[in-house]
Amino acid sequence: MNSLIKDWTDQLFDAAETGRKLNIRGGGSKSFYGGAETGDLLDVSVNRGIVNYEPTELVVTVRAGTPLAELQAILAEKGQCLPFEPPHFGPGATVGGMVATGLSGPRRQAVGAVRDFVLGVKLLDGKGELLSFGGQVMKNVAGYDVPRLMAGSMGTLGILLEVSLKVLPLPVAEKTLRFVMSEADALEKLNLWGGRPLPVSASAWSDGALTLRLSGAEAAVAAATLKLGGEVVNAPDAFWISVREQTHAFFAADAASAAPLWRLSVPSVAPSLNLGTTLIEWGGALRWLRGGDVQLIRTAAEQVGGHATLFRGEHALKVSTGVFQPLSAPLARIHRNIKSAFDPHGVFNHGRMYPDL
Amino acid sequence: MQTNLADFIKDTPEGREADAILRTCVHCGFCTATCPTYQLLGNELDGPRGRIYLIKQVLEGQPVTQKTQMHLDRCLSCRSCETTCPSGVKYHRLLDIGRAVVEQRVGRSVLEKATRFLLCEALPRPWVFKPAVKIGHLMRPLLPSILADKVPMPSENAPKPWPQPRTHKRRMIALPGCVQPTLTPNTNAATARVLDKLGIELFEPAGTGCCGALRYHLNAHDQALEDMRRVIDAWWPHIENGSVEAIVMTASGCGAHVKEYGDMFKHDPAYARKALRISELTRDASEIIAAEQSRLVELLRAASAGVGQRVAFHSPCTLQHGQKIRGVVESLLAAAGYELSPVADPHLCCGSAGTYSITQPTLSKQLRDNKLAALGAGSPAVFVTANIGCQTHLQSGSATPVRHWIELIDERLAH
Amino acid sequence: MSIDSNFSDPRFAVDREALIARLRKVLPVQALLIEDEELRPYECDGLTAFREMPLLVALPENEAQAQALVKVCYELKVPIVPRGAATGLSGGAMPHRDGVVVSLAKLKKIIKLDPVARTAVVQPGVRNLSVSEAAAPFNLYYAPDPSSQIACTIGGNVAENSGGVHCLKYGLTVHNVLRVRGITADGEIAEFGNAALDAAGYDLLALMNGSEGLLALITEVTVKLTPKPELAQVVLASFDNVTKAGDAVASIIAAGIIPAGLEMMDKKATHAVEPYVKAGYDMNAEAILLCESDGTPEEVAEEIGRMKAVLEKSGASEIRVSQNEAERLKFWAGRKAAFPAVGRVTPDYLCMDGTIPRKRLAEMLIAIADLSQKYGLRCANVFHAGDGNLHPLIMYDANQPGEVERAADFGADILELSVAFGGTVTGEHGVGVEKINVMAVQFSLSEISAFHRLKAAFDERGLLNPGKGIPTLARCREYTQTRAGAALSAPRF
Repeated sequence: MNSLIKDWTDQLFDAAETGRKLNIRGGGSKSFYGGAETGDLLDVSVNRGIVNYEPTELVVTVRAGTPLAELQAILAEKGQCLPFEPPHFGPGATVGGMVATGLSGPRRQAVGAVRDFVLGVKLLDGKGELLSFGGQVMKNVAGYDVPRLMAGSMGTLGILLEVSLKVLPLPVAEKTLRFVMSEADALEKLNLWGGRPLPVSASAWSDGALTLRLSGAEAAVAAATLKLGGEVVNAPDAFWISVREQTHAFFAADAASAAPLWRLSVPSVAPSLNLGTTLIEWGGALRWLRGGDVQLIRTAAEQVGGHATLFRGEHALKVSTGVFQPLSAPLARIHRNIKSAFDPHGVFNHGRMYPDL
Repeated sequence: MQTNLADFIKDTPEGREADAILRTCVHCGFCTATCPTYQLLGNELDGPRGRIYLIKQVLEGQPVTQKTQMHLDRCLSCRSCETTCPSGVKYHRLLDIGRAVVEQRVGRSVLEKATRFLLCEALPRPWVFKPAVKIGHLMRPLLPSILADKVPMPSENAPKPWPQPRTHKRRMIALPGCVQPTLTPNTNAATARVLDKLGIELFEPAGTGCCGALRYHLNAHDQALEDMRRVIDAWWPHIENGSVEAIVMTASGCGAHVKEYGDMFKHDPAYARKALRISELTRDASEIIAAEQSRLVELLRAASAGVGQRVAFHSPCTLQHGQKIRGVVESLLAAAGYELSPVADPHLCCGSAGTYSITQPTLSKQLRDNKLAALGAGSPAVFVTANIGCQTHLQSGSATPVRHWIELIDERLAH
Repeated sequence: MSIDSNFSDPRFAVDREALIARLRKVLPVQALLIEDEELRPYECDGLTAFREMPLLVALPENEAQAQALVKVCYELKVPIVPRGAATGLSGGAMPHRDGVVVSLAKLKKIIKLDPVARTAVVQPGVRNLSVSEAAAPFNLYYAPDPSSQIACTIGGNVAENSGGVHCLKYGLTVHNVLRVRGITADGEIAEFGNAALDAAGYDLLALMNGSEGLLALITEVTVKLTPKPELAQVVLASFDNVTKAGDAVASIIAAGIIPAGLEMMDKKATHAVEPYVKAGYDMNAEAILLCESDGTPEEVAEEIGRMKAVLEKSGASEIRVSQNEAERLKFWAGRKAAFPAVGRVTPDYLCMDGTIPRKRLAEMLIAIADLSQKYGLRCANVFHAGDGNLHPLIMYDANQPGEVERAADFGADILELSVAFGGTVTGEHGVGVEKINVMAVQFSLSEISAFHRLKAAFDERGLLNPGKGIPTLARCREYTQTRAGAALSAPRF
């Protein structure tokens, strides 16, 4: 690893001196996400392997270039998992990319996001310094929470080297139920159930059907199934994987037409937005949208207290509208300051998040 | 907490006691959460922890002004903080010591002195207080509202007589108290009737007057001790001859104070033993009745009582925090068939707090109104309490009748 | 007295009279305290070993007043020390001698509670417990429950990223907060996070949690509310030695159980607390464990059975299960009152907050017992065992010369040991002033520098709570040199 770091530091210094940019890439599975990749390729997928895994401590420390699938297989052997069900979006997905994009899957509504499970990081910042924040323990408030800051930072603050993640036991029992209902009814039910102590671990509504997953102890899942009714879905894993990996009909149908895919993160109680064909996840808190008017979408998301991301779209559209919801003036200033605190020469992943970062 | 008391007090009994109390405080701040004035004002100086600090700096010889006095004056002495305090800080004792020192150092304005003098002189003396209330009552329509509010309304329920004198083997003493005979004469009468049915004779030895709490909390410690000696002298013959088994308190404010006689006279050789014995014999009426609960339940069953009213109980601070009696009155009322309406923040003071409603009218009124809102939330027919001060104070702001709980038990038994 | 409160900083040359004149214009008269007599009670928070007289104390009554105040301080380059209920145990709200303590205690409104969305928008001075009380009619509650929850406020909870006895399962403050609104050092209003589950841009919300008042003055917080489980029961297990108890903790987690709470108290702690709470703890036990299960009745019955099996196998000498809600709360009441209750057996204590891997709990307990001997000071242990978060309570008497310094050294040894065991110097109480020196043990100079740059990204002039959280580089160098000589019985990093 030392020689790798030496090599990357050299590249970093060279780029800083000559004013070039570096494009940090693991498996490239999420290259479509965020602003366009620019600069020289810095392949970090070679930095792989488990550093330390202690099932009894519920913590795994892993090199950032490790394939996500590999990590998940190792955890599964010990009956554990990454509870937030990160999407892969391709066979090459790495742990570093998972953290950098900060994307979580269906179970996020019940257990939290990637950021909630990041306990520690080691990184190489834009000054060429090797920094370690957080650690391998559950609670840690020494210094600012840089590990969580890294989640979703799109690689703009440094090269992730190692990540420590909290892991949890796999659910003992799961059951998936389906209900035929309208979007409005689904939103009402999801919020109603959300306020009750039910073991709901995932939800997806599209095309007049609500699919609901229950996870937990046998007894709890059985009791909730009785309470909720609905039709039991057989072999439901394929369904949840299709939602997570966006191979579900909703995502696949229009992909060919290249209509942009919007991700709206809103309060779960936000009513139907009526902006186009929708798939709803996370108990109502995540709305996927195909096509639609950019301005209307951004305004609608903001008005209900959330934000809209141009999740998939053509380069020209990304440039004209920005991938992420624009920031308020004080936040934009803080973002620029944070970027230059970690990457003073502006070398890493330029433009992947906001054009000026 | 670290302490460094100044020479003027370090080696006095008060100084030693204050030092010991200060050193139990670990400054955790839990007390602020249940302090009525901190909850209203949000200033550290208006909560127990801040007041402890203010007293500490006075005792450590720092300069002191009316600012400190104001924050100490604002304390209700409700002792809610003592209930909350995990470290066992005897806050009220520290406050008494601190207030006395501050009083000496800072003094009072002429107006404040006059008010306090009047309160000290009038309230503890029924023969002054009773005509004063009558006059105030007649004048009420003519008084400005802020003052009119302060003229207590005697209870509208005409007092029923004490039971026919009967000789029971078991005898107990009751304290008429200072303002109670004028404002709510039915309280002791009802207690006597209930105890009579339980086979206990209640009587009031003459010559007691005020228990001393009133003047004690106005910082008139010497006068207060006089009051207390008078009470002890009036009771002692009955106690000495072994003819009474307990002293029954129908006002929890008096009860909390009399239970501390032993502490307050511990350095007085002439009274120490007597005071301690009296404190040991003193019980709140609820403790006495609860001890007879099985007999009471039989009587209630025999009385053809219908379904009880919905009532809201306000536990006086002197009952729940001072005497640490919690849930007893509530269970007696429930046993008597009354439905208890839930009350939010039951630990908070109603703002009566002895003479507080007169010395701190603004805070007192805020607390009263908050308490009345909490009591009224479940639309009960009656508010019930266990102390004369709370009773008249709450009544001054509410059309709902406010009564002593013993009256309700009495009425159930009368049916 | 204070162990080390030399935070005089030549950067701040404040003209007190001019500042008072300016602040009088933006604050009501009762909202500004200027006399020594009124200021001294503000000289410390829950950590009394560190004290400093504030220059002034301000008690703004709304956000507008707070903002106006911050703008004046920005203009005149005056430090600001935010303060909530001042129950903190690391001196995070200790005043700055050239600064204004800004108490947010008067901002105590619950602005909105939405039972359907399961969120509450509250002002920073709202007490932790009162959020749960307000949510109770809807069968909801606010999950993080620090032991001081009766008194501590949400603003302070965010500033410290407070934990509690149930955070193994329900998370810390950072996991239960959606949005923080605050005033930046230059007087701008900024919103971190929003009403949704995530926000655009960097996760500044995560940075705000645990930022100890160094990044912004918090004026509003949106918290998540959690449905109350149908049933909760707690197992109370006694052990005749602490090592067995420590090992039992690791065994429970190893069995794949995530208890709703998993706490440990040693004999000194139970003996301090029992007379006050009368929780019914086993007074003969060397250590007790509190292990909670919640969920549906069937789920709880199943899990309690598994917990009991592990505890029995681990050598518990007695096992009791709470039979009703009142008993469950009683069991917990003792744990929650444990810190201040230690005040009954000692005039002063220092509460440590290191976190270590669970498997090393027993080892740590033995090391603490040795250190207790070495320093001649008693130590009660109260642990969030499930998280590996230690709260050794080092007892001392501040009136005895030298004891506070000895207590501080004892504490530093425990914290350094925590780092050596692969943990951290603070799990949930924050660095404050108390642990500012030992930060040098856990972080390199480059990492400390990065923290300073991050701070400057929010507060270029360094006006918000200076001297807390992150040590200066000079301080780090000095500390590592002086402590290098200190003898430690355990391996160093």
